[in-house]
Amino acid sequence: MNTKGVDFATDKVLAREFLSNFADANGEAKYLNILQDVANHKARAVQIDLEDLINYKDLDEEFLRRVTENTRRYIGIFADAIDELMPEPTEAFIDDDHDILMTQRSDEGTEGVDGSDPHQKMPPEIKRFFEVYIRASSKGRPFTIREVKASNIGQLVRIAGIVTRCSDVKPLMQVAVYTCEDCGFEIYQEVTARVFMPLFECPSRRCVMNKSKGNIILQLRASKFLRFQEAKIQELAEHVPKGHIPRTMTVHLRGELTRKVAPGDVVELSGIFLPIPYVGFRAMRAGLVADTYLEAMSVNHFKKKYEEYEFRGDEEEQIARLAEDGDIYDKLARSLAPEIFGHEDIKKALLLLLVGAPHRTLKDGMKIRGDLHICLMGDPGVAKSQLLKHIINVAPRGVYTTGKGSSGVGLTAAVQKDPVTNEMVLEGGALVLADMGICAIDEFDKMDESDRTSIHEVMEQQTVSIAKAGITTSLNARTAVLAAANPAWGRYDLRRTPAENINLPPALLSRFDLLWLILDRADMDNDLETARHIVYVHQYKESPALGFTPLEPSVLRAYISTARRLSPTVPRELEEYIATAYSNIRQEEAKSTTPHSYTTVRTLLSILRISAALARLRFSEAVAQSDVDEALRLMQMSKFSLYSEERQKSGLDAISDIYSILRDEAARSNRMDVNYRDALNWISRKGYSEAQLKECLEEYAALNVWQIHPQTFDIRFIDA
Amino acid sequence: MVGPQYDFLANPLGAVRSTFDTAIASGSDPSSLNGRDWGAIDLFRHFLFDQSQLSQVPLLTPATVRYVKPNTLVRFRGMVQDMLGNEFYVGAYKDGSAWRTNKFMDVCQYPIPIGSSADTLIWERRLLYCVPVPGLNSWAEISPEAVGNLSMDWTSEQRDKRRREDEESSNMAVESDEVGCSPNTKRMREGEHPPLASQSQGAVPEIAGSIMSLVPGLDDDSSCCLVKIYDLPESELKLNDVFEFVGILTSDSELQEDTEDSDLSNGFGEDPLHHFPPNKVPRLHCFIHRKLSVLDFLQNKPIIEPKPDLVKGIREALLRHLSAVLGNDDIAAHFMLLHLLSKVHARVDNLAVGKFSVNFTCFSKETASIFGKQLNLAIKNLVPFTHCIPLTVEYLNTATLAPKKNYDTNRLETGVLQLAEGSHMIVDETQLEAGTLNSVGVENARLLQNLTELQKVEYDFKYYKMEMVTDVQLLVLSEGKSNILPADVIVPIRPSQTICFEAAEAEALEAWRWYLATIRQLPHCIESEMQKMVESDLVAARQADRSLNPQDLSRWLTMGRLMSISFGETSLSLEHWQMAKELERLRRERLK
Repeated sequence: MNTKGVDFATDKVLAREFLSNFADANGEAKYLNILQDVANHKARAVQIDLEDLINYKDLDEEFLRRVTENTRRYIGIFADAIDELMPEPTEAFIDDDHDILMTQRSDEGTEGVDGSDPHQKMPPEIKRFFEVYIRASSKGRPFTIREVKASNIGQLVRIAGIVTRCSDVKPLMQVAVYTCEDCGFEIYQEVTARVFMPLFECPSRRCVMNKSKGNIILQLRASKFLRFQEAKIQELAEHVPKGHIPRTMTVHLRGELTRKVAPGDVVELSGIFLPIPYVGFRAMRAGLVADTYLEAMSVNHFKKKYEEYEFRGDEEEQIARLAEDGDIYDKLARSLAPEIFGHEDIKKALLLLLVGAPHRTLKDGMKIRGDLHICLMGDPGVAKSQLLKHIINVAPRGVYTTGKGSSGVGLTAAVQKDPVTNEMVLEGGALVLADMGICAIDEFDKMDESDRTSIHEVMEQQTVSIAKAGITTSLNARTAVLAAANPAWGRYDLRRTPAENINLPPALLSRFDLLWLILDRADMDNDLETARHIVYVHQYKESPALGFTPLEPSVLRAYISTARRLSPTVPRELEEYIATAYSNIRQEEAKSTTPHSYTTVRTLLSILRISAALARLRFSEAVAQSDVDEALRLMQMSKFSLYSEERQKSGLDAISDIYSILRDEAARSNRMDVNYRDALNWISRKGYSEAQLKECLEEYAALNVWQIHPQTFDIRFIDA
Repeated sequence: MVGPQYDFLANPLGAVRSTFDTAIASGSDPSSLNGRDWGAIDLFRHFLFDQSQLSQVPLLTPATVRYVKPNTLVRFRGMVQDMLGNEFYVGAYKDGSAWRTNKFMDVCQYPIPIGSSADTLIWERRLLYCVPVPGLNSWAEISPEAVGNLSMDWTSEQRDKRRREDEESSNMAVESDEVGCSPNTKRMREGEHPPLASQSQGAVPEIAGSIMSLVPGLDDDSSCCLVKIYDLPESELKLNDVFEFVGILTSDSELQEDTEDSDLSNGFGEDPLHHFPPNKVPRLHCFIHRKLSVLDFLQNKPIIEPKPDLVKGIREALLRHLSAVLGNDDIAAHFMLLHLLSKVHARVDNLAVGKFSVNFTCFSKETASIFGKQLNLAIKNLVPFTHCIPLTVEYLNTATLAPKKNYDTNRLETGVLQLAEGSHMIVDETQLEAGTLNSVGVENARLLQNLTELQKVEYDFKYYKMEMVTDVQLLVLSEGKSNILPADVIVPIRPSQTICFEAAEAEALEAWRWYLATIRQLPHCIESEMQKMVESDLVAARQADRSLNPQDLSRWLTMGRLMSISFGETSLSLEHWQMAKELERLRRERLK
């Protein structure tokens, strides 16, 4: 014991030095400032970050290890050190009962006759106005409850979990104070466990000597109590291995940490893992089974938003590597739902939906949404729902619901009567719950009429207004809507017009930035692919290799969250370009006899949004022309998915169509030379591929319409 | 190793202790052991398997539980129903200068010197709550002769007394106070807790009904067991797995919790152990566990190789039997056979490959009651774990299908769908009438749908749901196609005879059980040549009929596989593929 005592004494000096010398990033003496606040009764908690200890210039590794492994003891040591360091209050504050008592006690203390009596010595706890917490370093992954082993007993651990139960906050006696009727002394008794044996006889020397067995009375007002709350945490679903039941752990919260958690909260706790000391008869008898609990030291609520995403391990590095790779757009898109074959453009669109564009608030208070809305329409059994569910899995905050399936609350919000208090309460529906996230609505076409009307508001204004049962309010619903719908007659009927097949009002449709039709066409290759896949699965009990390694969802999430931190703007020189592109679409639509779509200002906003999302993916603060071109291409592709039939009917084959595009564009800019890059941009905006362009170039070069530069493929029209 | 100087059956703890002492004497440091085995388990493994003494170990059942002495070696067969987390215990401590261990014990033998924390080592063990396999059929229960020898002297001495006590304790525990004159009562603190003390007489666990009613879905007379697992990697024991545990039975009355103490030590009063007082639920400190397959439930195991002729013979006989049960409907009998052989043999991205649920349609209420009963009986006789759900609106609205975590007791309350792997379930939809489902009903319908489509059950943990994979053979009986349970294949039934069900002979039944259990486990593959053939067949079929979706094609392959293994073959041949296709063609013809 002696050797240890020496140890602790030197450690107290170390603790004291650390507290007085530690300087944070700004060079401020962080802990002395906190102590000053405590002295002024402005704060109670002194939270010592182990992180600070690690960063401390005169770090003693051994000391750090001792603090982590025997935390409870070191809390006492730090508290002693703080007692010594406590500055004088610099501000006046009103004395409360406690202070008056303290002054009185210190006056009496001087005239103490037998001050050496341990029971009469005032325990330091009763003088302290502060509580000491030691917080574990937030670096690295927190433990799951499962991983906390017997060897962790007594150590400081960091655990992630969900709160399942909380007790009421109760007072817990820390120091019991008695007065003796005979000798009049105050007797102190420290309470360290949850139960204690009260004193009945005065233990003071005078009473013992006089053998008077002085009757002592517990003084509730003078005793020191702590707030105390007990909670249970349970493992998070993602931490539970397959085929196992989530584990639980008891957590004790004291003092300032009480009332910080409620059932259902996902929290990260740091605390000391301790066994519950048995008392009395049970300890003597059983002594075997030891209950354990976590003495909480800090409580952090998890926030699963992109903005607050924290990188784990080497994710930051991986992202940096990915960003350097030029092919990031394709690579990320392919990694979405890798088990679903094909649909490259749809996956690209979904990726952009995850990334989104920045919200804009104009000077006059008008808000322009940044979230992209996408609707997938298609035959049953083309994996729409799977795509939706996969996107929800990737998104840090996502709600999956069906148009009809959601409860009485519906999609938006409802006013409900609380069964216990009979008060009217607002309950948010799926769209409100998915605020700042993604709401995937399956079977969009089968939605309730009432929800459908309010979804108009959600999709453009991004709020839900409620005027029911005397409650008028508007809730935020800043969500990206990803909808999936079946065609009007279950299957897409090619003999009818798209408008007839899509069973949704145009006002709603125009709010979607992209609308995609996925048809189940009788296609030999496709069928063979399906058959191969099925046979493979049955034969080898796994999915066939994908030909590439998809990125892990966590990496995807990390990349997207990094991208979302940027808010790219449109440079001045591009404004003209976008405006022309927009007016071109408008004119084309005016020319055609059967307009397929209604190009409105909303379309222009969509182009801007998609371009901004693309710029975010490139980690660029400015939208580039290539972004706009890709945005236009995606919009064109989404239209073609709807109207491809008609395009084929229109008589122009792809090659001649490409030629006319190139000729028109060249004529418009009054040029004879066309850059290959430009040519590719123009035609891809109309939904043609590079291979088709090459074919066209060769064919028309053979006709001597133009010359092709052998290396760069630039085009020069031959003046006829 | 050490010679057999210990009585493994009667005094297993002696073996544990002496091996521990040997290990310490040979220089191992208890703190470096960290709870790992020091040779005791090897000793028991040697005794049980190499010397094949396993059958000598008494089996813990509701019938035998009261005759088995505590601190002896027992076996228990059951399904892991709940995992109660881990428990920390003082694994080793220094008594004076000698190290002692508490492993495989609930109560330490000598008082632990309090205060010298340096000399006590805390180790951990895991607690599993095990129940008898739900739906276990009587033929699969171990026959009394095979239960293992009980120490007869103990039994005879106790039997009369127990009987007397039973009668009394059923009235209420308090009155039976006087009866208790066993020494244990005196060792309890005098007069402190008369009701508690009376319960602990005899120190023999007793399976009373009252406590079991806490756990819905379990019969009152079922015997549960709290198994304590040591030294095992966590991945080995999964929820809903069926195991045989061999270990030490403890039920020390001394562990009886004092209510006042535990109230203080646990603010929620939810300590799970609290709900299983040791005199109700026996505790088993497990040495050895082994996973049981269906084959282990067969009484007389005819150890034969699945020879083709033999298999073919049994197959024909079984088909005839099934056909008779189904009113001489051959096609339905074929589907039934394939159904009984099916199991989920792989899971590929959310898809359960190999499941083959069948929906027999064209039943009316009358025929369903006849055929349903016969079918139920026939299946009960063939597979070890069976269930039957008569689906009604009321049932859907009230039943608890999914297991649910109860945070008040910190227990997983079981549901109807918490089933062991390979269970069979009949859902009789013919009783269903039009009605309104409440929210429970909707949820239950969704659970059933998930079960049929994905072979997964969502367990309700209130704050989140956890999907647990299952492998249940699902048979649906309905008038028209069932929409609540979208089975893999719909077979309209065409019985030509109503009743012609003769009870099968015991010998034939045994052969069929063996056939089903063995054949199901066979590996299977598709040769590359056959693979091409199958691929082109599938493509042609899909080109011809657009309404075929990938699930249908996948089912065809499952049928091919099942058809092939039903003949005991391990690779798909053209003949069997054609048979499967023909069967499918006949079925589709019926659907028209």
